[in-house]
Amino acid sequence: MTMETLDRLRSRITSIDSMPTIPVILRPLLHCMDQPVEQIDIARIVELISYDKSIAAQCVRMANSALFGRDTPVESVRTAVMNLGMWRVRDLLFSNSLSQVIPANRWVVEPAVFWRHSLGVALVCRKFAEILGYQDTEKAYLAGLLHDIGILVNSMIAPDEFRATFEKATREQIALDEAERATLGFTHCDSGRVLGEAWRITPDLIQAIDLHHDIGDPERGGPLVAIVHLSDLLCRLRDLGYGYYEPRQVDFANEPGWLYLVMKFPNLADLDLARFTFTLDEYAKEVGELVSTVFVR
Amino acid sequence: MPNDSTLVANEQIPVEALSDPVWIRIRDLIYQVSGIYQAENKFYLLVSRCNVRMKAVGSRTPREYLDFLTARPNRDSEMRNLLNEITIGETCLFRSMPQIEALRKVVIPALAEVKRTLSYTKLRFWSAGCSTGEESYTLAMLMLEESQTRLKGWTFEIMATDLNERSVAKAQEGVYNDYAVRNVPPEYMKKYFIQTGPNFRVADCVRPFVSFSRLNMLDDSKMLFMRGIDVIFCCNVLIYFDGKSKTRTVNHFYNALLTNGYFFLGQSESLYGITEKFHLVHFPGATAYWKPNEPVSKAGAL
Repeated sequence: MTMETLDRLRSRITSIDSMPTIPVILRPLLHCMDQPVEQIDIARIVELISYDKSIAAQCVRMANSALFGRDTPVESVRTAVMNLGMWRVRDLLFSNSLSQVIPANRWVVEPAVFWRHSLGVALVCRKFAEILGYQDTEKAYLAGLLHDIGILVNSMIAPDEFRATFEKATREQIALDEAERATLGFTHCDSGRVLGEAWRITPDLIQAIDLHHDIGDPERGGPLVAIVHLSDLLCRLRDLGYGYYEPRQVDFANEPGWLYLVMKFPNLADLDLARFTFTLDEYAKEVGELVSTVFVR
Repeated sequence: MPNDSTLVANEQIPVEALSDPVWIRIRDLIYQVSGIYQAENKFYLLVSRCNVRMKAVGSRTPREYLDFLTARPNRDSEMRNLLNEITIGETCLFRSMPQIEALRKVVIPALAEVKRTLSYTKLRFWSAGCSTGEESYTLAMLMLEESQTRLKGWTFEIMATDLNERSVAKAQEGVYNDYAVRNVPPEYMKKYFIQTGPNFRVADCVRPFVSFSRLNMLDDSKMLFMRGIDVIFCCNVLIYFDGKSKTRTVNHFYNALLTNGYFFLGQSESLYGITEKFHLVHFPGATAYWKPNEPVSKAGAL
């Protein structure tokens, strides 16, 4: 993307009335989550949830869902949070607060499909990071969750063009960024980056958003970008993509991101990738439960 | 792994029966022995197959059955029985749509592109362990469609082999019941099958493209004759071989394939630990092994 296009995109995002604003609870939540798991303040999380009645209700509903198979119903937010565990609560909070970024009638990609992919990539990023021995698995999770945030931006700033773009990608069975380049002149990676800068998200997360399709020189983005890139690819190949067929062959052994990670984390060369791929089908169920909890209106 | 569609209605498994951690151990054992992976979201299939065997051997709990698979003197034959049970119902035409789509939309175009530059217009397939011919005829029908559209003027052949003479005879017959053809798209049914009473006979226009023969994959001298293949399918066969035989057979497959050729296993089957010569490649919903120009280094071996 040229500097000129980037400037135009930036001014478009920041000038229109309906610019996506950072959801009220997201910033404190990002702050809460951006520390080691053992230092996460549960009381603060419960407080944040209590600010938003619909999220609180969803936590309670999910804690009472068949997934947990409880005999006695959960009624308080605190008990719900304790039962769900931090990860699920965080998933709910993120997907909910980020969903509020755009009005219900402006979604171009089906919200359930969008979150299925985003949460799927987040889970795979975390798992992948664990396997590698990458020190910050939660950062990897967050990067996965936010990587396609530009799709929400595009739905806001150019709804008609973006709808046509998404239809083109679906019809021609091509990657979304390829369709965006052809029709919009910029991609959801570009617009996601601009939003990330406006929201003052940490630079490593912004890089993951920006470079997840086209990682270029892997040294530039480091392991986090490579993890998000590969996890996104894997999800698109395993029923956690955008709901359309992308006829492609991915040879991970020739993927620059993979080769870079093998160099950085030599144990990756011994990973049973076939088995890892097959296990991804297991995430679909977990993601499905979560998405259906968030989107039962 | 069996398709969901192979489940019959009475295979309802209560949710709590799936949560026993012993299933994970049985799953991992199956993977270690056979390379077939049962994802947790499909555990009801694993459990229902194990239940059949548990009844047969008279074990009351999964833990007790694990003993049958690991500690009893006849554990190898019980594992074989379980694998048989797991792969039962696998043999139907158009069994794995993700594999078929990968073949149609990615593999065949990629092979055709390379071959065109070399002025070859023929593709050769090997259906290894073809059983009663369902996979072999599926391939022939797919290729017939291709040769009427994108690959006009191309020729192809499907070599189909199996150890079992009765299977080969049945394959040559090419007559299937409605269960075996349940996944066949209607347009293929119309074009490539003739209904004979309750059964469906593969049409004559398909038959010349498939040759069936008996072959023991452990017979090195016979395996050496298989050469110049573009795509090999060998689904749920290697699972019955021990480690050494697997490696030997996969090496034969490697040598039989042309450079850039593809080797497909069952949908949830892996070659991990068997060979490092192939690249594992991913397609939407499917994986295969691809033969590169040169054997790969450790970093790239999957």
